[in-house]
Amino acid sequence: MIEIRLHGRGGQGAVTASRILATAAYEEGQYSQAIPMYGTERRGAPLTAFVRIDNQRVRERMLVHEPDISIVLDPLIAKQQGVVESLKAGGIVLLNTAMAPEEVKLGGDFKVATVDATTIALEVLGRPITNTAILGAFVKVTGALKLESIEKAIKKYFPGRLGDMNIAAVRRSYEEVKGPIQAVVKSGVQEKMDLNVGGYGVLKDVSSWRVFTPEVDVDKCISCKACWIFCPETAIQWDEAKKKPYIEYNKCKGCGVCANECPVKAIEMVRVEV
Amino acid sequence: MVGNKAAATACKLARVQVASAFPITPQTTITQYLSEMHANAEWDFDFVNVEGELSSQVVVQGASRIGARTFTCTSGPGLLYMHHPMQTTGSGRLPVVMAVVHRSYKGMQPDHSDLMSQEWTGWGHWYVEHAQEVLDSILMAYKVAEDPRIRIPIAVGYDGYVLSYTAEPVEIPDQALVDEWLPPNKPIPEVLPDKVNKATFGRGFGGEADPQVPWKVHHDAILKIEEVHQEVMDSFEKTFGRRYGNAMIEPYMMDDVDVAIIAMGTIAGTCKAAVEKMQKEGKKVGLIKLRSYIPFPVKDFQEWSKKLDAIAVVDRSICPGKGGPVYQRLRETLYDMKKRPLTLQFHAGLGGKEVRVRDFELIGDKTLKAVKSKKVEEPVTWV
Amino acid sequence: MSERITRAQIPMEEMGITPGSACQGCGAALAARLAFKALGPNVIRHGVPCCPDTVTKTPQIGTVFEGGGALLTGTSRGLKAIGREDVLAVGFFGDGGTYDIGFQGLSAAAERNENILVITKDNEAYMNTGNQRSGATPKYATTSTNPVGPKSRGKEQPKKNIPFIFAAHYVPYVATASVAFPEDLIAKVNYAKTITGFRIIIIQSPCPVGWRFEPEKTIEIARAGVQAGIWPLFEIQNGHDFKLNYKPKELKPVTEYLKPQARFRHMTEAEIAEVQEDTTSKWQSLIQSDEMGKVLI
Repeated sequence: MIEIRLHGRGGQGAVTASRILATAAYEEGQYSQAIPMYGTERRGAPLTAFVRIDNQRVRERMLVHEPDISIVLDPLIAKQQGVVESLKAGGIVLLNTAMAPEEVKLGGDFKVATVDATTIALEVLGRPITNTAILGAFVKVTGALKLESIEKAIKKYFPGRLGDMNIAAVRRSYEEVKGPIQAVVKSGVQEKMDLNVGGYGVLKDVSSWRVFTPEVDVDKCISCKACWIFCPETAIQWDEAKKKPYIEYNKCKGCGVCANECPVKAIEMVRVEV
Repeated sequence: MVGNKAAATACKLARVQVASAFPITPQTTITQYLSEMHANAEWDFDFVNVEGELSSQVVVQGASRIGARTFTCTSGPGLLYMHHPMQTTGSGRLPVVMAVVHRSYKGMQPDHSDLMSQEWTGWGHWYVEHAQEVLDSILMAYKVAEDPRIRIPIAVGYDGYVLSYTAEPVEIPDQALVDEWLPPNKPIPEVLPDKVNKATFGRGFGGEADPQVPWKVHHDAILKIEEVHQEVMDSFEKTFGRRYGNAMIEPYMMDDVDVAIIAMGTIAGTCKAAVEKMQKEGKKVGLIKLRSYIPFPVKDFQEWSKKLDAIAVVDRSICPGKGGPVYQRLRETLYDMKKRPLTLQFHAGLGGKEVRVRDFELIGDKTLKAVKSKKVEEPVTWV
Repeated sequence: MSERITRAQIPMEEMGITPGSACQGCGAALAARLAFKALGPNVIRHGVPCCPDTVTKTPQIGTVFEGGGALLTGTSRGLKAIGREDVLAVGFFGDGGTYDIGFQGLSAAAERNENILVITKDNEAYMNTGNQRSGATPKYATTSTNPVGPKSRGKEQPKKNIPFIFAAHYVPYVATASVAFPEDLIAKVNYAKTITGFRIIIIQSPCPVGWRFEPEKTIEIARAGVQAGIWPLFEIQNGHDFKLNYKPKELKPVTEYLKPQARFRHMTEAEIAEVQEDTTSKWQSLIQSDEMGKVLI
C-alpha cells in the first residue's frame, strides 16, 4: 500500500488533487481512497488530505499517520504544518517551491523533490491553483502512477478546455521537477503537525496564506486611511505620528483590498519569493 | 391547590428572576399563573411570553448564563420542540429548572414519553407524584442545579391533568425560611465584559485536544447529582420537615416483602394504595417509587435486589421497537449482581390510559406467581 | 437618526483580535471589525452558527442556529435581573440566522421590542457550508443549490426585504449599511447605542468565494452595489421615519455591480434589464419616502 499526505490550503485544490490521484489509481486497476481533513469551507486556510493506493480493497477509514509520500501544494505551508512529520523512512517529500532540493532545509531519512508549481499554475492557468500543477512532478518523482492515468482522471474532474490547461500544467511540472535527492540535513527540528487546522478562532500568523504581498510606498501615500479602514484583518496599521500606514505582515492574508482601494496606487502587490 | 399552581408558587418561593414559557395543554395554566403573579407584582421577576417553546428554552438559557435564576415549563410536543436548545443548556452547564407537565406523544393525556425522549440532552430528570412534591422538588431542584459541584439543568416531570389540574392540599413553606435555605444564585462573572477580555461560551467548534473530554465531564457531573440531591433532601427535611425517601428513590412499605413494584409519577400514588391493600391481604408486595431517572439510583437498586425475589417494573413510556426504559435500565443495573431477582416488565398508562388500584393488584399477583414458580412465564405485560 | 462622521472620527482602537480564520478579502470580517470598533468594550456578543469573521475582545455567547433572538432576549432580561443594564446585548448573525432559520425568534423579539441590538452580516447565501441559497440571495444569483442549467437561471425569487419586514414590527431602529461606507456604518452603530429597544442593522458583506470575484474587489463591489441602488443605505425609526443616507444624483448602471461577479455571469441582457428596471423602480420609491421623511407602513 502507498500512503500519501497532501498539505495545502483552501482554494488550492488539495482535496481535488487527492481525488485525482485516487481516480488515476483506479484507472490503473488499483484500489484507492481519498480522505479530506478540513472543517468548514475556508479559502486560504491550511488543510490536509490523504490518499491510499493498494492492489486490494482499502479497509482503513482513518487518517494517514505515517505517509510514504508527502505532497506540499503551498510554498509557505512547510512553515506552518509539519510536512515531513512521521514520514516513513525512505519516503519522499514533494514541495512546491522555486528552490532546488539541495536548498530545502528539511532533515531526516527521506528524499526531497521540488517543483515551482505556483509559477507553472500562474503561467498556464492564470491563477495560483497548484493542485494539478504538482501532479506531473508526483508521477515523475514517485513512479507510483502513469502520466496517462493522471490525465484521464483530470479530464473527469475538468472537462473541456479547463482540462486541457490543467493537463498542460501537469506535463510542465513532469518536465521541470528537480530531485528526488536524499535530504541534505540529516536531522532537523520538525514542527508539530496540527491536524485540526480548520475551524474558528484567532490565528498567530497567516503570512503563508499570501501569494502576493502588499508593499507600501510611503512617498506616494496621501494619508487618506483607506487601506487602514478597509483591511479586514487589521494588518494595515496606522502610524498617527507620521500619518502613514505600516503593515503587520503576520496578519496579512494577501487579499489585496488595500492595493485595490488606494486612490494613488501607493500599495503594490508583489509575488512573495520563498 | 392544583399541581400547576404548586409549580408557579415554587417559582415565587424560589424568587425566580426570569421565567419564560409558551402555553401548551396541560401546562398552560402555569403560564397564566406566572403572568398573573407578574401583573400583580407578587415578586420582582421578569416573565417573557415567547412565540414558541424553542425560544422559551433559549431565553432561560441566556438569562441563566448571565446569572439569573430561571424557570421554564412545557408539555409533550413543546418539549420535543425544545430538544435542540435543551442540549445546549445541558452542555452549557446552566442551572435552569424546568417543569415538564407530562403529555403523551400520542394524544393529550399523560405518559412519560415526552421527558423520556430527552434523556440524551444532558439534564437531571426527576419524576414526582403529587402537588406538594411538585412544589418541594422545584425548590430542591434549584438547590441541586446551582450547586457549584453540579451546574446541571434539572427537569421536574409530573403528569398532566391528573396532577397538573387536580386540586389537593399543599403546605406552602414560609418565605423567610425558603430565602434562608435557598440563597440567590451567584452570577457567573466571566460573562460580563468588565470581568474578562475574551471568553467564549456555548460555541463548541472543536479545538479541544480530545473531543471526548466534554462528554466525559458532562457525564460525571450528572452522576454527581445523586450525592448532592441526597444532601439537599436531608437539609430540606431539617428546614421544612418533609422528605421523599433518599431523594433518588422513595421506598413504600418495603419491610419484609418479596416483591417490589417500581413506578414513577402519579401512578406511584395509586400503587401505594394498592400495596396497602395487598399487604392487608398478606401479599408481600411493596413499592419503590423512582424519583430520579437521570442519574439512575444504581446503588439503591443493587442493594434492594439482594433482598428481593422479584421486581415488577411499570413503565409509563416505551421506546417503540426497544422497550420500556426503566425496565431496561434496571436489568442493566442488576447484571453484575451475584443473586438477581426475577424482573417483569409492565406497560401501563401509555397514551394516558388510566391505571387503577386493581391494575397494580394484577401486577402484584402476576409477580408473586412468578416468585412461586421461580420462573417468568410472560416477561412483558400490557396492562 | 445617525449623525454623519468623518474618517478622522473613526475610533483608532480595534476590538478585533486578528488575524482570524475568515477567507481572504472577507466582507463579513470587515463588517465585524467596523461594527465592534464602534460598539466598544461594554457589550456581550452573541452568535449563532455562521462563517468565522473577526473574533472580538468581548465575552461571546452562542446558541442553536434558530435561537438568536431568544438568546439576546435572555441575556437582556438577565442583565436587567442582575442590575447590569449598562451592558448591551449584541447579536452578530449571518443572513441564515436573520432571514431564515433565525427569523421566527428575531421577529418575536422585535415584536416584544426587546432591548437588544442585532447586526447582520449579509453575504447573501449560506457561505459557511459552501454557498447554498438563502432568503437573502438575490434573483438570478447562482449558488451551489441554484446552479444554472436547462431548468434553472439561478435563484428564481427576489431577495427578502428584511429591513422593511423588521420596520413593519414598528421597532425603534432599522438600518442598512455597507462595508464600503465605513463612516456611515459606524455612525449607525453609534446611534443605535444611544437608544433602547429592538435595533437591527443589516450590513452588506461581499463574499469573494460565494459571489465569485477576486478578493481584492470586496470593497469595489460593495460600493458598486450601493452606487447602483441595489443596496441602498437607509434608516427607519419606529416603522415610520425614513432617511436615505446615500443619494447620488444619478445611479450607476447595475451592470457595474453584476458584471464583476461570476455568480451573475450567465445573465442575459433581458435579465439584466429586468434587474435594472426593478432596481430603478425601488429606488424611486425610496427617494419619495426620503422626501416625505416617512414610509407608508
